[in-house]
Amino acid sequence: MSARWKASRARRWLQGCAHVGESPVITGRPSVHGEEGQLRIGDRFRLASIPVPSHLVAGPGAILDIGDDVAIGCGAAISAHERVQIGSGTRIGPYVIIMDSNFHGSPGDQSLHHDCRPVRIGAGCRIGSRVTITRGATIGDGAEILAGSVVSTAIPPGVCAAGASARIIGKAGDLQARWESPAAALPAMLMASLGLESPPNLDATVIPDHLRSGGGMEELGQSLKDQFGIAPDPAAIREARTFADIAAVIREVRPRSI
Amino acid sequence: MTLRDRAMKWIARLRSAPVWLRSSLGARLWLRGCDSVGPGTRTFWRPHIENRGRMQIGARVRLNSNWAVIELVSGPGGTLDIGDGVFINYGTMVSARRSVRIGPNVMIGNYCIVADTETPGTGDLADAPSSEPRPVEIGEGAWLAARVIVLPGTRIGAGAVIAAGSVVAGDIPAGSVAGGIPARVLRSR
Repeated sequence: MSARWKASRARRWLQGCAHVGESPVITGRPSVHGEEGQLRIGDRFRLASIPVPSHLVAGPGAILDIGDDVAIGCGAAISAHERVQIGSGTRIGPYVIIMDSNFHGSPGDQSLHHDCRPVRIGAGCRIGSRVTITRGATIGDGAEILAGSVVSTAIPPGVCAAGASARIIGKAGDLQARWESPAAALPAMLMASLGLESPPNLDATVIPDHLRSGGGMEELGQSLKDQFGIAPDPAAIREARTFADIAAVIREVRPRSI
Repeated sequence: MTLRDRAMKWIARLRSAPVWLRSSLGARLWLRGCDSVGPGTRTFWRPHIENRGRMQIGARVRLNSNWAVIELVSGPGGTLDIGDGVFINYGTMVSARRSVRIGPNVMIGNYCIVADTETPGTGDLADAPSSEPRPVEIGEGAWLAARVIVLPGTRIGAGAVIAAGSVVAGDIPAGSVAGGIPARVLRSR
């Protein structure tokens, strides 16, 4: 099968799109509906629809924007009623659901435009199998979402998140990232809550004063609660002078884990 | 055993003969893309097989693709090894870019996903380190209930039971019952 024939076959499935970049590859028979809104697809787009068909829908006046080099697995359902943006180089696994609307409003109200909030997925992300991304979710560049997660909030760039609902469990690309080990998750969490440039070393590094006074410590207490389900003494967290202190506080609450 | 019981048994066998014949011949036909298929293996309806590496299927394996299709994929250089007596129910996806080994007598429920990469079925591998496949191993006699997702790098011990809807990461000890997202050991069997 020549590449040209393949591309023309792919374009047949993508004919409802406002723009399709060069050499798209489509397997199977997806259902793509962008006639009412705007469906823009970048270069080298890959969409699998074997054995389960995928579908992409841009509703009336909605924008579904897919960057370059995006690959999407089979059985994916992506629906935009306001705006869904997928960055370049992102890979999306099979059976993923991405939607920016809840498909209902108050009880009895079935209008599709109720309370949409745009979804933004950054560049170079990896979204695992059967992930559900609901309205208002933003996923930072290069983040990694493990299989089976449900994302409805903001995931910072460069982290690995998992679970329902998804929480940060480590750095993206960190092969040791495990849900069971807060030791692996803590540096990335400190990075996100305190606004650090890179994950800190957990040994006795002193926390700079401007981070301690900037409200990051309260946020850190909240993320500890959200992510590990533990509620360490807020005073102990506020008084922590070093990253090692924070690790010690967590060790006290959850002795087995760090 | 009375004569009546014996007669009933033979009638039941005769009645299921067309199904048996069809599923046995179906396995020969639909699994012809595999490198080796053991005797007595049967497929119910047509599974989706994509073999670009190595795919070995043992004896007396049953693959049920009724209602939803089973997808077995092996990427270039990947090995998918299914042991004897395995049963895989409908809608399950097994993808091996490097190595997925399913031990003998494993039962896999419907709509499970077993893959050694994070985003199976999205074409060739990116060169980012985390997308590198990590081998998956499921031990002898393990049972995965419905809608279980097995993440890359997971090892499930022999005889372990994974509860429905779980996401499994890391190692699950043999003979345990695990469940949840992520799956934790709930008790031992």
